[in-house]
Amino acid sequence: MLRPERMRRLLIAAPKSEIDTIIGELYRHNVYHIEDFVPESTPGALSIGHPLSGASDAASALIKVRAIENACGIDSENVEIRERLPASKVREMIRTDLPSIQKETEDLVGSRSRLETRQKEHEQRARELEPFAAVPLDLEFYRGYTRFTVFTGHMSHDVEIDVPNEKYFSDKVAGNMIVVVVQNEHREQVERTLLDAGFQAIPVPEETGAPADRMKAHLDEARRIESEIVAINEKIAGIRERHTDFLVACDELLTADVERAEAPLRFATTEETFITEGWVPEDRADRIQAALEKATGGRIYIEELEIDDDTAVPVEYENPSFARPSQLLMDLYGRPRYSEFDPTLLLAIAFPIFFGMILGDVGYGAVLLALSLGLRKFLKGEGGRALLKVLSISSISSIIFGVLYSEAFGFSLPWPTLIFSRHLNIGGAATGHGPQVVELMIVAIWIGILHITLGRLIGTRNARSLYHGKHAMKAMLSNLGWLGVMWGILLMIWAFFPIPLMPDLTGLPVVAMGFNVAAVTGVVLLVAGVIGIAQENPLEVVELPTIISHVLSYARLTAVGLSSVAIAMVVNYISIGMMIEPQLEAITPVGVVLIIVGILVFLMGHVLNTALGLLGGGLHSIRLHYVEFFTKFYKGGGKKYNPFGMKSKFTEE
Amino acid sequence: MVDVATTLEMVQASQAGMSAVGAGLAVGLTGVGTGLAEMGIGAAAVGATAENRDMFGLALLFTVIPETIVIFGLVVALLLLF
Repeated sequence: MLRPERMRRLLIAAPKSEIDTIIGELYRHNVYHIEDFVPESTPGALSIGHPLSGASDAASALIKVRAIENACGIDSENVEIRERLPASKVREMIRTDLPSIQKETEDLVGSRSRLETRQKEHEQRARELEPFAAVPLDLEFYRGYTRFTVFTGHMSHDVEIDVPNEKYFSDKVAGNMIVVVVQNEHREQVERTLLDAGFQAIPVPEETGAPADRMKAHLDEARRIESEIVAINEKIAGIRERHTDFLVACDELLTADVERAEAPLRFATTEETFITEGWVPEDRADRIQAALEKATGGRIYIEELEIDDDTAVPVEYENPSFARPSQLLMDLYGRPRYSEFDPTLLLAIAFPIFFGMILGDVGYGAVLLALSLGLRKFLKGEGGRALLKVLSISSISSIIFGVLYSEAFGFSLPWPTLIFSRHLNIGGAATGHGPQVVELMIVAIWIGILHITLGRLIGTRNARSLYHGKHAMKAMLSNLGWLGVMWGILLMIWAFFPIPLMPDLTGLPVVAMGFNVAAVTGVVLLVAGVIGIAQENPLEVVELPTIISHVLSYARLTAVGLSSVAIAMVVNYISIGMMIEPQLEAITPVGVVLIIVGILVFLMGHVLNTALGLLGGGLHSIRLHYVEFFTKFYKGGGKKYNPFGMKSKFTEE
Repeated sequence: MVDVATTLEMVQASQAGMSAVGAGLAVGLTGVGTGLAEMGIGAAAVGATAENRDMFGLALLFTVIPETIVIFGLVVALLLLF
């Protein structure tokens, strides 16, 4: 808790004859994070290992399985686990069943794509014939003249042609259609007339008979092919229905085979031995060592190495279960480094509180809770699930704050606000003493002061573990310096101005130049703080204004929340106060329409405000962590702990 | 002769009106400022995220940094109104 899981660095060396056993054992335990072997540029005694035998067979089988899965639209991430197939049975089936399934799928997909091409062709023909269907001429009449020229094409309007001709014009089809037949000697003249009027030639389709009939024939054919495609899709769906369990099991098993077979590519080898370095969580290190010794019958050498570089250690979170979904939000910013303080727990506590403060409304909270529970059916991926868990915790916090603020969809609940009121005076809805904006703002500022102080204190602690020697001391002093400046400014403000909900220090005895004790202490803290900051890096001094801006930034906890309340109340006032209520006094036909419109406005407004509340509440809460809190102490950039192995979902040994 | 009470009322009303205008300007202008600032950052951030998914957290952070400006505007507006 509050720091990443402790790791041990292991070096494993063994004769090559044991490589299969060792890889199998490591894979089964799924705890060993392999450090890839990087060969030196000058060829030394060590070189990269070769894949185990069977690697290419497994890989090509895997490609086949993935192709089938792709064709059938199976995504192993989203497959419900029904039963776990024994690995031996799956292996047997890969030999017996897989080729036939593959052939069946390939045939179906192949004939589907052939049919699709033919369907497109027929549709294209029908499109080409469409303009000709507007002219009462069979298609053979357009061709085969020696003394006449036929013009066919689109035209925006009809034109007069002043030579002997036969002409058809129709504006019943898109782009209009004109057909002109003239003697060859007038060809150029007519062509010019037509082109001047915006003529666009289209070729005559190579078919015979009445265009309308031909068009209908093509469309019928396309429709018939469509039904064939549907039948094939049903067959593919049938394959999916029957073989999904087997296919995802195959995928899993073969992926494991390939990973195992390719593991030596990450090892260093000599003629007779291989060496690998990696990381194991401390609490499981002894178990894996014992298991390896046992499996190889002692023909293995394992040494525990010193951890010298903190950035090289893979990082795995170690958090209580309720904080685990928040790890996703940490990963978005960057994993903590190995020796760093892990703030996931603090984030998991503070994020829902901030969210609730911003979107404190029983109604919206309930809607979001229902949404997060409902979406769990559709989002099966790990990240999606974690996000939904964060959302449901946040919406519960939102409901709790809604009860405290006495708000539901912008209406007040039957009890007065238990903390500070956010009921704005919109449409005369204010109750009691109206909104307590100033008090709410000061509470938000207080949260900011405490949150940032906590951040700086953690920064002081981190300085000790991240840096060494003189630099660590400097970094610690600089963090304390920032704290000193912040509290110095606060003391000075309190010494001169009485502020509600904050200590009033104006009455303290004056020491010198009209400054009282608090003010003098403030000045001393401020100066000492600036010196503390400057001794680490003088350039940091230009960052001093961020102290004020970061603290004031927490005012968004109130400000964003109030804007959401305002929108809710305005929606209620427009829909109920202005549209529905006046009509209920005397119901008229127009009134009923207005009431329906009012209900629509109410629903639309609240849907919009729920979305805005979710975005505002979520983004601003996480931003306060990322920008205001983490910048005080957090480095991030730890490597992800990615153990060699797999949690089998669909198969069992 | 102008009624003193009426004049006083008018002055108070115009003061309230002016502070409402001030509040509106505070939010509106800071909103424009934030928008201008986020325009460039947002475009670059989306580009960076498209290149590398891991940038998302950092990109979001960069994008919301100017948001503080409009929050200050909102704070000033709320203080003017209440």
